[in-house]
Amino acid sequence: MVRAVPPWVRGAAALFVTIVMIFILGPIVVVAGVSFTAGDYIAFPPQGLSLKWYRTVLDSNVYVQSALNSLQLAAVVTASATVVGTGMAIALHRGRIPGTGILSALMLSPLVLPTIVFALGLLMFWSSQVGRTSFVSLWVGHTVIAVPYVIRTTLAVLSTSDRFLEEAARTMGAGRWKTLIHVVLPQCLPGIAAGAFFAFNISFDEAIVSLFLRSPEIMTLPIQIYTQLEFSPDPSIAAVSTLMIGLTVVMLLAIDRLLGVQKVAG
Amino acid sequence: MNKYHDDWIIAAPGILLLCFAFLVPVAGIMVLGIKNPDGSLTISYIERFLTDAYYLGVAWRTIKLSCIITLVCAIAGFPFAYVMARASPNLRVWLMILITLPLMTSVVVRTFGWMVLLGRGGLLPEALYLMGFVRRNYSLMHTEAAIIIGMIQILFPFMVLSIVGVILRLDPRIEEASRVMGCSFLASVKRVVLPLSIPGIVAGSLLVFTLSVSYFITPSLLGGARLPVLAGSIYETATKSQDWAFAAAQSLILFIGVLILLIPYISLTRKSHG
Repeated sequence: MVRAVPPWVRGAAALFVTIVMIFILGPIVVVAGVSFTAGDYIAFPPQGLSLKWYRTVLDSNVYVQSALNSLQLAAVVTASATVVGTGMAIALHRGRIPGTGILSALMLSPLVLPTIVFALGLLMFWSSQVGRTSFVSLWVGHTVIAVPYVIRTTLAVLSTSDRFLEEAARTMGAGRWKTLIHVVLPQCLPGIAAGAFFAFNISFDEAIVSLFLRSPEIMTLPIQIYTQLEFSPDPSIAAVSTLMIGLTVVMLLAIDRLLGVQKVAG
Repeated sequence: MNKYHDDWIIAAPGILLLCFAFLVPVAGIMVLGIKNPDGSLTISYIERFLTDAYYLGVAWRTIKLSCIITLVCAIAGFPFAYVMARASPNLRVWLMILITLPLMTSVVVRTFGWMVLLGRGGLLPEALYLMGFVRRNYSLMHTEAAIIIGMIQILFPFMVLSIVGVILRLDPRIEEASRVMGCSFLASVKRVVLPLSIPGIVAGSLLVFTLSVSYFITPSLLGGARLPVLAGSIYETATKSQDWAFAAAQSLILFIGVLILLIPYISLTRKSHG
């Protein structure tokens, strides 16, 4: 390979990447910075350092309750999206049911179709067919947008797996379900784990579906932040946002320990 | 059907969810947008949108902003993706983590960061003041520039990820060949890598454009009520004026616009993965 890249091009590239990174990460750093302010107003750089806004968040019923709602919701969404997505991915990978191509395009379509159209549609459907919006309507809505991520990560792992293992198991006398549980599922595990991580994250951070399908008694954390941003922002929003970012980073480190981060990023 | 009953069973939850929680609701909203209360078909809601200067303004703003956002993402995304693809594997993983990390934080949180940076007394207006461009106490909030800045930060990773996949699949010997044949480094990037990356750039642009026309949280927080975009207008119509039929008609317009762009996107990504 011809390696001769002019030094000024290298320098310019390094500068460019740094500027882009500052732009991409800037808002997140700013939010974290604001949360440690000792002052009473939102300001960056923060005025003095203190943890008093974290105290405010932990003492606030509103924040604690919406955090509990969000965590509960994310937990059940992770469970349902993982089960639904894994089954679907295995069936799509085997490609034996008719219309696999169309089915896979349809299953992944919530990734690119406007979430707002889906959210409004589900709200109208729910109100006319089921009744009042509730925790369950949020659960269903979040599951629909989380499932494609599980399908993608699981399919990615399956596409590198050895097709003959399943055949071997069947030849050796294992039944269809035994093969599925003891041979196919263990192969999928890294994909399922990565998919579960994305599902949790998406549900925990989701705001659009939640805005439409929430009920007055169920506030999720992103909706709580959104409403406060519209009406009365104070540094407690920064503190609660920083806690959310912290949770994501911790989960990212955990998944890196489990799988290696290349698998998740790629 | 009987032969592969186990495949059907493991796929069934997904198929049911897709039909009843996605396809039927989305189809329902499409139908609602072109139906009179008595059930007959009508284009009156669509017509109302297309003849009202206010809504045409909303549509124009949505398209204009999305074009600018897409263009900036593409222009900055290609060199970034190229550097990323040609960096050492270690550095590449780190850049990948740093660029995807924002995707894993809530849009609400990132928009809040921009509100601090762009608002009165924020770092950006202060910097512009010190450079003498604007008066004291200038605020970038509630401007179209604010929407563009906030949206680029959110959508840039999608562009980079689309392009970097294509560049990584290029044969490095093509570049070597052009260098051996006497191309300078920059000429070889411009005349060899760039044309070969077009599928990634086009796919990334279509993706960024479709995502940006359908966002509303960032535009509504950074742009405010005076600068509505189409998705924000759908939300307002559905929740504040409770005019569901008109909200459905606007959704139909957005949906069809996105669908027209998605067809080339799907064929492009399929080709580059195949």
